[in-house]
Amino acid sequence: MAWEYSEKTKQIFMDAVHGKPGTHMGEIENPDGFGEHGSIVCGDALRFTFRVRRHPTDPTKDVITEARYLTFGCTSAIAASEALCSLIEQGQYTPIEALKITNEDIVKYLEGLPQQKIHCSVMGAEALESAVFNWAQKRGVDLKKLGIHIHAEEEKEGRIVCKCFSLSEPYLRRKIEELNLRTIADITNATKAGGACMACHHAPGGLQDLLNEIWGQGGTRLRIVPKAAPSEPPAAPAPIGVSPFQFYKKVEKTIEEVVRPALARDGGNVEVIDIKDNLVFCRLSGACAGCASASQTLKLMVEKTLKDLVDERIRVIEV
Amino acid sequence: MTIIYVDNNATTAIAREVRQAMEPFFTEHYFNPSSMYEPAKRTARAVAAARETIARFLGAAPQEVLFTACATESNNAAIFGATRANPSRRHILTTAVEHPAVLEVCKELARSGYEVTFLSVDRAGNLDLGEFVRALRPDTLLVSIMHANNETGVVFPIERLSRIVKETDPSILFHTDATQTAGKIPIRLDRELIHVDMLSFSGHKLHAPKGIGALYVRRGTAWRPWMIGGHQEGGRRAGTENVPYIVGMAKAVELAAEHAAEEETRIRRLRDRLEEGILERVPWVEINGRGAPRLPNTLNVACHFIEGEGILYQLNEHGICASSGSACTSGSLEPSHVLRAMQVPFTAVQGSVRFSLSRYNTEEEIDRILEVFPRVVASLRRISPYWDSQTNAPRPEAEQMLVSAAPQPA
Repeated sequence: MAWEYSEKTKQIFMDAVHGKPGTHMGEIENPDGFGEHGSIVCGDALRFTFRVRRHPTDPTKDVITEARYLTFGCTSAIAASEALCSLIEQGQYTPIEALKITNEDIVKYLEGLPQQKIHCSVMGAEALESAVFNWAQKRGVDLKKLGIHIHAEEEKEGRIVCKCFSLSEPYLRRKIEELNLRTIADITNATKAGGACMACHHAPGGLQDLLNEIWGQGGTRLRIVPKAAPSEPPAAPAPIGVSPFQFYKKVEKTIEEVVRPALARDGGNVEVIDIKDNLVFCRLSGACAGCASASQTLKLMVEKTLKDLVDERIRVIEV
Repeated sequence: MTIIYVDNNATTAIAREVRQAMEPFFTEHYFNPSSMYEPAKRTARAVAAARETIARFLGAAPQEVLFTACATESNNAAIFGATRANPSRRHILTTAVEHPAVLEVCKELARSGYEVTFLSVDRAGNLDLGEFVRALRPDTLLVSIMHANNETGVVFPIERLSRIVKETDPSILFHTDATQTAGKIPIRLDRELIHVDMLSFSGHKLHAPKGIGALYVRRGTAWRPWMIGGHQEGGRRAGTENVPYIVGMAKAVELAAEHAAEEETRIRRLRDRLEEGILERVPWVEINGRGAPRLPNTLNVACHFIEGEGILYQLNEHGICASSGSACTSGSLEPSHVLRAMQVPFTAVQGSVRFSLSRYNTEEEIDRILEVFPRVVASLRRISPYWDSQTNAPRPEAEQMLVSAAPQPA
């Protein structure tokens, strides 16, 4: 997959990794707002902090003066974090106004993102929400009273639909509606859900079911693949005469009492890995391991002993 | 900007000699090798000579070598062809770290009623021989295990595995995907690999162009053709022969044989120089597959706490072409199944970078990478929320994560 980033995205990324003046990499100490989104398991994670100029009487009139990020992620995740901070600082927003920044604004600022990288812009918007929630708690602002719902915090609860990326049903429902996601591919591009093991695509309550519930039927259907009829396994080799249990016991006893003491005289040992019918799978260890004549020892000594004392049909296979 | 190409497990530069050998077959010798007139006989002879060269390279007979379009086709043909010739057996044994060209074929068979066992690997990338032996069953049809892994370069003991299979039950077929080993380590189907029934590889991993592959099928193997509709390749792979590419692949194989010693000496030295240099200069990295036998040309470095795509992008800005097992570079948002099967912690899977060398790489190039790579890693760690730039070490809570971040194999 070649890079199809816009020139702006590439420039922002390179400026950020080189720490050019005016870029926003870093973390504010004792921030007024702190938010995180993603995890290393998912492949990207963002830690977002901001500082405000506090309004003396009305905290809702605080203005964000500085925004910083630390990001674990790909080129576009880092560029999107940078874009988020620039947008916020340029706008001189209050935290509540900053919530109006959407992932589309970030994409626009970056002059476009490849489809499969849209989730990087979504991540920025989510971290911002969570930081605003944190600010509101610190400043005693009741967001609910103002009619603002911070979804990210509410949606940590709820049934997990995509287990690979830990994405819950409420979160996915909101994203499907907000971003007008119509297909499973849309959902994966925007949120990563269903991008790994794909088990949630058509599982009951999975992505297709969510799409059907939100947009109505008409989606793809599971095709039932008929299972091929089981065929007869090939006939097993002739039975060894005694029950398998007795046979194993006898092999073990012979190895313990005859083979091991003989090998031990040369500092060697033998390990039985498995027994299948008349086949005894062995590995030589100790001084025998790596010995040039190990195969010879197995054939001439171990196999011969077992043939003589247990059953002449036994074959020893070196593992 | 000059390019430093160190992604040779993905594809290789076409050798000048290969292109020269191919050229006449685009211009004056364009005839169909199946035609009767005199000029066509020359193309037919070129195909026959190429088949002989490749057979000699493998230690095989010419009739045992089929030309295909790519290693993926060879793998599909080997596996599906084996199932079609042995309908009474329903069990397939493979590994969790195969290339998708084998892994997905096996999963497809599992969907249509076959039982498939995917063998695990340990932290170094090695198979457990005990697990392997215990997985063999009376109804095992096929064992398909790669010769060397494309991501880590870990080499599997095909000689031993195929011998155990044949000693257990000669009717079990043994296939190996040798795409990453052909031209890098010796392949002798008449000696060490005498128990291998089928072997796949492609031209473009050894300096021939893309679009040509080969499948070895040992004489007497219970196998049915996959592509039918013509008498070519003895009826076992229909379709007019891709004459220029067949000639090119043979030339590439000849060159590989000439340079065989170089792989083990010069290329291995370059790889080791890169490996040791990175370990010296960059903290918190590990070499995936270091504890296992490895191809001489492959180096897979896991950089903890950063993401591989950003590394590749910056290397690219310096003209360095490498690849990564990170989710963001996979096209499926899923990190490398190979590294996950090896239980490489998530903190490092995402930051893995693969360098794979060829005989065209130089010491100057390696030194240039050693100059650039540590700076790239440092720049991304400065941005990482898991890294403390003051101490130049992971944050304590991130270090904790390392312990608990071992993934479950897919």
